Amino acid sequence: MKYYVKMVRPYMVWSFLMVVIPMVLIAIYSVTTGGNTLVNIQFTLENFAKFAEPIYVQVFIKSLRIGLITVGICLVLGYLLAYQICRFEERIQSSLILLVTIPMWINTLLRTYAWISILSDNGIINTFLQALGLEPVTMMYTNFAVIIGMVSDFLPFMVIPIHTSLSKIDKSLIEAAEDLGATPFQTFTKVIFKLSIPGVLNGVIVTFLLSISTFVIPKLLGGGQYTLIGNLIENQFISVGNWNFGSALSLILTVVILAAITLMRKLDQEEKEEEL
Amino acid sequence: MMKKKLLAVLAAAGMTALALSGCGSSGSGATLKVYNAGEYIDTSLLTKFEKEYDCDVVYETFDSNESMYTKILSGESYDVLIPSDYMIERLIKEDYLQKIDWDKVPNSVNLNADIMGQDFDPDNEYSVPYFYGTVGILYDTTVVDEADLADGWELLRNTKYAGDIYMYDSERDSFMIALKALGYSMNTDNTDEIDEAYEWLIEQRDLMSPIYAGDDVIDNMVSGNKSIAIVYSGDAAYIMSENEDLAYFQPEEGTNEWFDCMVIMKDSEQVDLAHEFINFMLDVDNATANTAEVGYTSPVTEAYETMISEDYAGISSYTPDMTNPLDECFRYQTSEIKQYFADLWTKVKAY
Repeated sequence: MKYYVKMVRPYMVWSFLMVVIPMVLIAIYSVTTGGNTLVNIQFTLENFAKFAEPIYVQVFIKSLRIGLITVGICLVLGYLLAYQICRFEERIQSSLILLVTIPMWINTLLRTYAWISILSDNGIINTFLQALGLEPVTMMYTNFAVIIGMVSDFLPFMVIPIHTSLSKIDKSLIEAAEDLGATPFQTFTKVIFKLSIPGVLNGVIVTFLLSISTFVIPKLLGGGQYTLIGNLIENQFISVGNWNFGSALSLILTVVILAAITLMRKLDQEEKEEEL
Repeated sequence: MMKKKLLAVLAAAGMTALALSGCGSSGSGATLKVYNAGEYIDTSLLTKFEKEYDCDVVYETFDSNESMYTKILSGESYDVLIPSDYMIERLIKEDYLQKIDWDKVPNSVNLNADIMGQDFDPDNEYSVPYFYGTVGILYDTTVVDEADLADGWELLRNTKYAGDIYMYDSERDSFMIALKALGYSMNTDNTDEIDEAYEWLIEQRDLMSPIYAGDDVIDNMVSGNKSIAIVYSGDAAYIMSENEDLAYFQPEEGTNEWFDCMVIMKDSEQVDLAHEFINFMLDVDNATANTAEVGYTSPVTEAYETMISEDYAGISSYTPDMTNPLDECFRYQTSEIKQYFADLWTKVKAY
């Protein structure tokens, strides 16, 4: 056993180099000014003060709103899908789950470009509508396009944990509920859904994390004027070159995500304590 | 079991190492790193260069001069860069470039003397012209009323065309439009004028809900998705050759005249090969293939003349009007002014 403990060490070094040091650098950048080289830095809280400007707060609120809508849609669709998959034989279930994950083998960028050709003004949907003699609809560069892109991208991250939770449920508990006279609706809300909550929480956390920090999907499907917090950070690093403000934004985002995750974990804990 | 896994990991690591060391490289093994804007070259020329000079070309692209600069600043090194005028001026001032040895570029005799010696590098000590042109408005002649063109840049705030406009997702070009519309110089460092330009852009967002597009504007205009777009003259030439309903127009208030040039970085290890590459791009046949492919105006006289009588005959934006005295070329900005613009631009986009 001790042998294996030693084998973990390279990983510890690796994660220190690749996780801890960059985090420390972000923290240093966020509280300093003086350019990107860290040669003549001065401490300041200016970068955080800048975030308080209404225009940036609005971007943050918009990102939260779009993120929550995406998570909500993923949750409903993902739960339905996972529930349906669970009703099949186990052998078929694993191939169905495989089907859910197949889109993830293709690069996000390609999948997003596919949405562009589906949604654009002269795209597949509008060509079809025109063939039917209907008015074309503008879908590109709207909230709708961005949300549909994010939902299709992140759905597997919701389906898989929920499916895992659902498939672990002891069938006899469901039978017991039915024997004791629970209606199908009561069986679902009081037994099945309750037992699947750990999976739901995991799915919600992962999709929330992905959707609040994404920047490729809003950039491609929303256009250059569609700014979420991820785009704001990307711009500060890539084109503006203000790494200090970019780091402050990243740090604020990290804290918000951490707070959200802690809150959800707490809900999970309370749920478990109630059962005891 | 454990051992088998370990072997698999080692094998995978070994393969990665092989791939990284570039076992596919051929011949002399010299590698030339070229950094250019996206959609800005006939890529078959790169293969041709590799064959002729028995080397590898690592070709990377950027989406704006600013992102190129950030990458250079972070320590990335290339042999040949192809940035725009004002960025070349910044790179010269900050000592990132080395002088061109014109003796190693015999094809320079092909260059059009009229566009040499611009203010950003008066004696062409550091830069060799690649393409040049202007910024203008591309519009759909079946939708836009010719009479409205008299408004110049204000056409972009004519509510008749609300929701029907692509702006260009570029800080300097967007502020150029607002500053010119207000009658100021696009190289101003007067913060009152810059603030006014910011208000102009914010009002435009309110009135017109424009889309700030990048290179996707090319495909969108070819398929006629919207009727007005801000484009570089070269992109306009390409788009107009694909969609004949469109026309290109440069407002009277003046616009940006730009010059993209090839430069060699100071720490280049392949100085001779870099010169060969620049010389290669100025060869008449290669320059003709390049300009035919991307639609930008060639500084190589013979290639230019072939284009105006063949591929781009009758397409006005291939021969952009460079005579308006109100036209300007972007100049170097101090880092304070640059930061001032960048902050306002972030706000325009986040609005």
